Amino acid sequence: MKLDIQLGERTGRLETRNGRFELQWSDGAHVAGEASVAEVEPGIYSVLLEGRSFEAKIVPATPAHPEDRTWMVDIGGNRFAIEAFDPRSRRGRHASGPGEGRQTISAPMPGKIVRVLVTAAEPVEAGQRLLVVEAMKMQNEVKAPRAGVVAQVNVAEGATVAAGDVLVVIE
Amino acid sequence: MPAKPLFGKVLVANRGEIACRVIRALRELSIPSVAVYSDVDRASLAVRMADEAVHIGPAPSKESYLRIDRLIDAARSRGADAIHPGYGFLSENAEFAQACEDAGIVFVGPSPDSIRRMGSKTAARKLAKAAGAPVVPGTEDPVTDLVEARRIANAIGYPVLLKAAAGGGGKGMRRVDSEAELADAVRDASSEAERAFHDGAVYIEKLVERSRHIEIQILGDRHGHLIHLGERECSIQRRHQKVIEESPSPLIAVHPELRHRMGEAAVQAARAVDYYNAGTVEFLVDEQARFYFLEMNTRLQVEHPITELVTGLDLVHWQLRIAAGERLSLRQEDISWRGSALECRIYAEDPDNRFFPSPGLISHLERPTGPGVRLDSGVYPGWTVPLDYDPLLAKLAVWGPDRHTAIQRMLRALDEYYVGGIKTNIPFFRQILTDECFHEGQLHTGFIDEFFARRPAASPPDPLVEAVAVLVAALHSGKEQPASAGVGAELSRWRTEGRGRLFR
Repeated sequence: MKLDIQLGERTGRLETRNGRFELQWSDGAHVAGEASVAEVEPGIYSVLLEGRSFEAKIVPATPAHPEDRTWMVDIGGNRFAIEAFDPRSRRGRHASGPGEGRQTISAPMPGKIVRVLVTAAEPVEAGQRLLVVEAMKMQNEVKAPRAGVVAQVNVAEGATVAAGDVLVVIE
Repeated sequence: MPAKPLFGKVLVANRGEIACRVIRALRELSIPSVAVYSDVDRASLAVRMADEAVHIGPAPSKESYLRIDRLIDAARSRGADAIHPGYGFLSENAEFAQACEDAGIVFVGPSPDSIRRMGSKTAARKLAKAAGAPVVPGTEDPVTDLVEARRIANAIGYPVLLKAAAGGGGKGMRRVDSEAELADAVRDASSEAERAFHDGAVYIEKLVERSRHIEIQILGDRHGHLIHLGERECSIQRRHQKVIEESPSPLIAVHPELRHRMGEAAVQAARAVDYYNAGTVEFLVDEQARFYFLEMNTRLQVEHPITELVTGLDLVHWQLRIAAGERLSLRQEDISWRGSALECRIYAEDPDNRFFPSPGLISHLERPTGPGVRLDSGVYPGWTVPLDYDPLLAKLAVWGPDRHTAIQRMLRALDEYYVGGIKTNIPFFRQILTDECFHEGQLHTGFIDEFFARRPAASPPDPLVEAVAVLVAALHSGKEQPASAGVGAELSRWRTEGRGRLFR
């Protein structure tokens, strides 16, 4: 069985057969071995690998958006955002990275929209402020990751948003 | 036969971990408790723990936890004969203390008059000075115009600190390094103070570089007996907010006479306002170990557990006993300090994104336990941390026979602590607690800024740990998504085999 892996900015391929695994990173790094895995509690895995005992906790990275298949895995306080998908389906792949095509800007955390600073069809510069989100009395500016034209503004001032909600689309 | 309870019933006019802390003490003293809750706190841990609960309004605290009339009505409707204010919200509001008194309800705190007299920072400075406590050089009264501000700042020398007279929590505070910055800083500090406290008055203090924040816990009864319970060092701060506190202060190991001298000064300052209840006198300590009065907090502090751990006393029990009119049976010479205690404030915030608040659903929760660990928490798995309030989830405190053991124990407890679904500052504490300067006790209020500057770049993660994370994500995806049959089936077989080997 083969799976494509996206860990943060890195990509790789995982192959498993009869309890053995092989992980080939596209930057050349390679890890292989025999692991014993048990889900000891829902979302909590005990993994024995090369004689070492690991405990990994896994939750969806953006619970409000089940269509996003990114997982947040915590091992001893180290957090990894990981996506694993069948190479035969291109689903789950990010349609575009920064600097190309349409770009969606999502809420980095739950909060309230206190200011909307752009409107549809407006050209924006990279780093320009798009909106201000407030949570627990702290305000955070959401900025344009690149230059473009605002295609969509999905929220109005006063709206409550969940982490991962698409706020603005830039083309 | 147990003694008659101190009160018939006590209403807790607060939320979160401190409401739970007070409810626990009430239960230990056989006093029924009444929680209050806003719309978003209906399912809070405090409501679940309390014997009774009353709805007091919508989420914004102005319309719920800060509504004196609703709190008094709630106490009346449930027949509570006392109100514990916790910390924050109305705990240092003289009007609230007065309203309780007028309604014939005991306010578990000091008199309205003590609160009023210590409430203004400039008035408190004058009081402390008159009582013989040293104060940081600065203005006696709020500055009224820029000409005067310039004259004063020049006289005491830059850098100076602007502070809100009605202040707290770092609001309305500005560092000013030169005369050129003064005008803007006064305007900004004043408007921030106006917004936060409805009082734009600011005053000027000499800014003492690399100073420590050390505070003295005091306890006084309604019969004029006052003692101190030693110090807490709270120099590890971010944006003027404490994040790690400890007792004893590492400075006391070098200057043991300081505890007594600061304790005396604190008791004198408290006596000057006829103080009763638990209270805290905050001092700034400079690099030459000279201390200066900063302000007095006329309430229970967030970080009170570390004092409880090293003295063996329960401050909330004592607050209630004092409020009921009991005499404080402890003399100063009865107080002794044992071992070392540390506290980390666990916040729902993202250390990788400028500590921005991270409210939301707690999907998983594993709590640290074991020797020497105390967790004062206000959350549970399945609880949604509301976006409307301070993001403090819990306070993790540890005790050890010495500072080194306490630090190691805290690191161990942090390893056991896991909050899933939202981000917390737990990883940040690991970094601070393994820092060499922290271990050496070289603390000052600029510690975190300097730590960020000298912190080495994060080392690349262990490839084996990364591989484990990938495996778990792959297996979990397969399990959660049986629709993609081929992958799911093979993974599940793989998983079963893995499990089989594990349990063989």
